[in-house]
Amino acid sequence: MLKIEHLTKRYGDVVAVDDLDFEVTPGVVTGFLGPNGSGKSTTMRIILGLDRPTKGRATIDGRVYAELRHPLREVGALLEAKAVHPGRSARNHLLAMAASNNIPSSRVDEVLEFTGIASVATKRVATYSLGMNQRLGIAAALLGDPQILLFDEPVNGLDPEGIKWIRDFFRTLAKEGRTVFVSSHLMSEMALSADQIIVIGRGRFIAQGSVDELTADVAGSVLVRSSDQERLAAIVRSRQGTVHDRDDRALSVGGLTSDEVGEAAFAAGITLYELTPQRASLEEVFMGLTADAVQYASASTEVPRGA
Amino acid sequence: MARDVTLASASRAEWIKFRSVRSTVLGFITTILLTLGISALITSVIRGHWTTMDPLSRLTFDPVSTSLGGTLFAQFAVGVIGALFITSEYSSGSIRTTLAAVPQRLRVVAAKALVLTVSMFIVAEVLSFVTFLMGQAIFAGVVPTASLATGAVLRSVILAGVYLTLLTLLGFALGLILRQSAACITVFTSLLLVVPIIVFLLPQSWQDAFSKYEPSALGRAMMSTTPPSQMFTAGTATVILVIYVAVAAIVGSILFLRRDA
Repeated sequence: MLKIEHLTKRYGDVVAVDDLDFEVTPGVVTGFLGPNGSGKSTTMRIILGLDRPTKGRATIDGRVYAELRHPLREVGALLEAKAVHPGRSARNHLLAMAASNNIPSSRVDEVLEFTGIASVATKRVATYSLGMNQRLGIAAALLGDPQILLFDEPVNGLDPEGIKWIRDFFRTLAKEGRTVFVSSHLMSEMALSADQIIVIGRGRFIAQGSVDELTADVAGSVLVRSSDQERLAAIVRSRQGTVHDRDDRALSVGGLTSDEVGEAAFAAGITLYELTPQRASLEEVFMGLTADAVQYASASTEVPRGA
Repeated sequence: MARDVTLASASRAEWIKFRSVRSTVLGFITTILLTLGISALITSVIRGHWTTMDPLSRLTFDPVSTSLGGTLFAQFAVGVIGALFITSEYSSGSIRTTLAAVPQRLRVVAAKALVLTVSMFIVAEVLSFVTFLMGQAIFAGVVPTASLATGAVLRSVILAGVYLTLLTLLGFALGLILRQSAACITVFTSLLLVVPIIVFLLPQSWQDAFSKYEPSALGRAMMSTTPPSQMFTAGTATVILVIYVAVAAIVGSILFLRRDA
């Protein structure tokens, strides 16, 4: 069990993590979702004892990281920033890690095989592609066969096949009863790979729940196509609903349920061709939740032109 | 139950890391080539000019420290070896892997220092003896030579290796403090080369008071059988250099403990 207890981290005046408090349970994949700069990596570094928290603490089965007897056998981590000397081979990198935690060197070959980089294991890491580096990071995380695994932005640099592989891999690890904690700024990725999601923004806790729970909290819209769109729109507005025209001649109705829209149309003698309740996507929920919390928001998508 | 993460396991890990990068191998090759090459050059030149040298120079000639002259050039290479052992961890980000594997930071410092000390001491001692013997062989027949059978000579040759080992550790300690390779090598080189120039510009009485404290002056004192009167004795020089290294290492360790990785 991984517990984050009232964790706060300040770098000078900047508050990177602000009183985070949550638990990550074993047996499921827990997503750690937030915009870039929201404090995900800082939280991960504090869990590993790399950064010192200003307040609060992160514990692994009740102990802080420095108290673990063989840290690599209890917690495995793939850090976003590269953490390998480019001049060293993957095999030597892993052998050194193994030696420090009294892990047999046969385990190094196992994880190299498992991650598919055994054939390049004696080459200098500097020659590796981004995807190979990620695989080495995963091999390093698995080295001590730990019960708790942290992955900071693991899909960065992976090709579609690798992304599919890593999703299945997370599920397998969770099914084995391990704690799997995966950070990402990509909500679509989290929707596919995580069972539980913790959303943070600007270092603060925003929401926690399954994808279904998070999306259920946000009212969806209703997609309507009918014989008389203009009259239907007027009726919806008269009942305090909102209407957005869509490109495909359909209306997107907010504030009313599909039942209410259907009854209103029936009462007015309008024929409905389509009436579809639209669930809020995790993406919309995420944008709604973190709208105030994006550190570097862009004003528009228009590229500024020179004079 | 398996053993804990001990100093021994941390040192094994650091040894694998130390020997598995090119910079270490290149650093040692540079150290060996500089020491042997410069020493061979110096001793050969002296042999060639011996008969035309003035009598006073011949009278005060020290065949021991002269034959070990290359050591004072190799000191830059060994400083870089020591500095890179920690600064490359910061530049590559591998310090995070290191500290995740061994969260007891003082144990990491101790393991690295141990690996550096043992490997450099062995290489530097062998190198000092080889360099000394090579120099005496070049001098033989023309220039007076020294023998390892003399206690003071043996001490000088051993201390030449100790000097290189201590400078490796000084580079390492500076690396702990500064964390950046370029900054570290600049400061290290300045300590050895620029400080003596500044001291040289001071009034004579100040020069006499300060110059003997310069690391390279301490090195010369350690390597000579009979240090000149304005220098420390070999023993005192060794102690002072050890104090320099210890102070730098303590400051570096405190910073290493406190800072975020």
